[in-house]
Amino acid sequence: MTSYVSLPMFGANVDERLRLIAGKCNGCGQLAYPQRPVCTKCGGDQFEDTPLSGEGSIYTYSMVAGNGAPSEFDDEQTMTGDVLCGVVELKEGPRVMVRLADTDPEQLEIGMKVSAVVRRLYDQEGIVRYGTKFVPQKS
Amino acid sequence: MVDVAVIGVGQTRYGMFPERTLKDLFHEAAVNALNDVDKGLDPQDVEEAFVGTLSTGGAQLGNFAPLMMEAAGMIGASARHIENACASSGYAMRDAVATIASGQANIAVAGGIEKMSDLPREKNRLWLGISGDVEWERLAGTNFAGIYAMMARRHMHEYGTKKKHITMAAVKNRNNALANPKAQFRAPLELDRAMKAPNLASPLTFSDACGITDGASMVIMCRADMAKSFTDQPVLVVGSGGASDYVAIHDRPSMTALEGTKRAAKRAYDMAGISAKDVDFAEVHDCFAIAELLAYEDLGFCKKGGAGKYIESGATARDGKRPVNNSGGLIAKGHPIGSTGTGQVYEVVNQLRGRADTAERQLPNVRFGLTQNVGGSGAAVAVHILKAVE
Ligand SMILES: CC(C)(COP(=O)(O)OP(=O)(O)OC[C@H]1O[C@@H](n2cnc3c(N)ncnc32)[C@H](O)[C@@H]1OP(=O)(O)O)[C@@H](O)C(=O)NCCC(=O)NCCS
Ligand SMILES: [Zn+2]
Repeated sequence: MTSYVSLPMFGANVDERLRLIAGKCNGCGQLAYPQRPVCTKCGGDQFEDTPLSGEGSIYTYSMVAGNGAPSEFDDEQTMTGDVLCGVVELKEGPRVMVRLADTDPEQLEIGMKVSAVVRRLYDQEGIVRYGTKFVPQKS
Repeated sequence: MVDVAVIGVGQTRYGMFPERTLKDLFHEAAVNALNDVDKGLDPQDVEEAFVGTLSTGGAQLGNFAPLMMEAAGMIGASARHIENACASSGYAMRDAVATIASGQANIAVAGGIEKMSDLPREKNRLWLGISGDVEWERLAGTNFAGIYAMMARRHMHEYGTKKKHITMAAVKNRNNALANPKAQFRAPLELDRAMKAPNLASPLTFSDACGITDGASMVIMCRADMAKSFTDQPVLVVGSGGASDYVAIHDRPSMTALEGTKRAAKRAYDMAGISAKDVDFAEVHDCFAIAELLAYEDLGFCKKGGAGKYIESGATARDGKRPVNNSGGLIAKGHPIGSTGTGQVYEVVNQLRGRADTAERQLPNVRFGLTQNVGGSGAAVAVHILKAVE
């Protein structure tokens, strides 16, 4: 049993998910990511596609215990147990909720530098949904 | 605006009831509320009804409110379903108050219900994670425990709050529920043991969370100038505030405050003509222990960032200066999602009338009581202020 974000609905923001395309407000220049129909700063509704660098830092995080994450992640939870999530503050300013990967949760801390990689998020109806996860930057 | 008074409140026990139906539970809450109207009320005289529910996993999505009104024996009332996630019946309350205040109806009811225990865990994982920004929060793999955990981690980071301060709210509420015969979890809990509970969503553990609950509640209201014909002890609804906020926590400027609570509280305080310092006691939305600490700050009970020290001082204990969640709160009284808002009003009304079910947990000399009901992680918040009639 999963929530129903249909494949077309998922596909409608694939540029944001996989290519990290933000919307830059034509009125005031503020970046919206994830994109939104109305600018939170000036109320404008015209945006220009602007790619983000994919670099940022951990703003907060949590290790969601096995079998607690949403049911889209059931196969994964069965295989790996816990699911590591966090909010990343991107270099350009916006924050976004993401999956964190390739790290030991004990090593994580607020402020740690991370960057975006395209990974499989989950499967539904036999189709893989790709998304962006964030991994620690190599020093 | 017409003044509004509560003339009867009812609530089922909260818990796990595998052999009871939705109709049966709502019927009990309604009978309980009708019997509470001392001088009696003909159920047919209820004009407007607002029923909160998240929908019990989809058991009855359409025409939910008319079906519940049938079960309540209030057939004919103009009834509708109100949904704002965990704040569904806080909003049912707001709308019932507004319908009377506007002069549209003389008598209205607000109610709420949920039956969560029948749903398999797999279905609960589907269903309890649909009240955030689904595309971005849910599909990043987090549930609500995770979202509140991320707020908790920020609060610890920004204000030096310790995990023990957060868990103190859970321990207080568990122990408060021991004296509440309608509470779900009635087993004592000590801080040491709570601190060692297994991880739920770090830094929160199983001890910091509400559970899976069945239950229903109802509040019957009328024009204040009619109240004395129904009861000698009406309770006035002096403040009602609602507000919304960004649904996803990553879009909010701060993750250590619920702007929804601050806005709703301001509206309710302004309407009542009082401020936080006048509130004698409160039932707040402690779905996860950190939420109670945020509520202290957002409702103005203590200063920003000071919630850890505030709970440690004992101010919100049953014998403290301003008891919070004397009922056990969501963590221990229970959180049957759609019932929680009107269930909080049930508690506050009984306290204000001096009719707590056990003498042990009756608060002395209380005049103003407040309820705070939060949908999701703060996207919708309803705050009510109730006042005893001297
Ligand atoms: C916390 C939660 C995950 C527990 O799940 P549950 O299925 O109700 O849990 P149970 O009570 O059956 O307990 C599961 C196991 O954990 C153990 N457990 C529960 N609480 C515990 C605690 N405080 N300490 C130690 N172990 C605990 C139980 O003993 C049980 O183990 P067992 O199966 O070996 O007996 C669940 O109640 C939940 O999801 N709560 C949040 C609901 C929610 O999100 N509401 C909306 C809020 S916005
Ligand atoms: Zn703008």
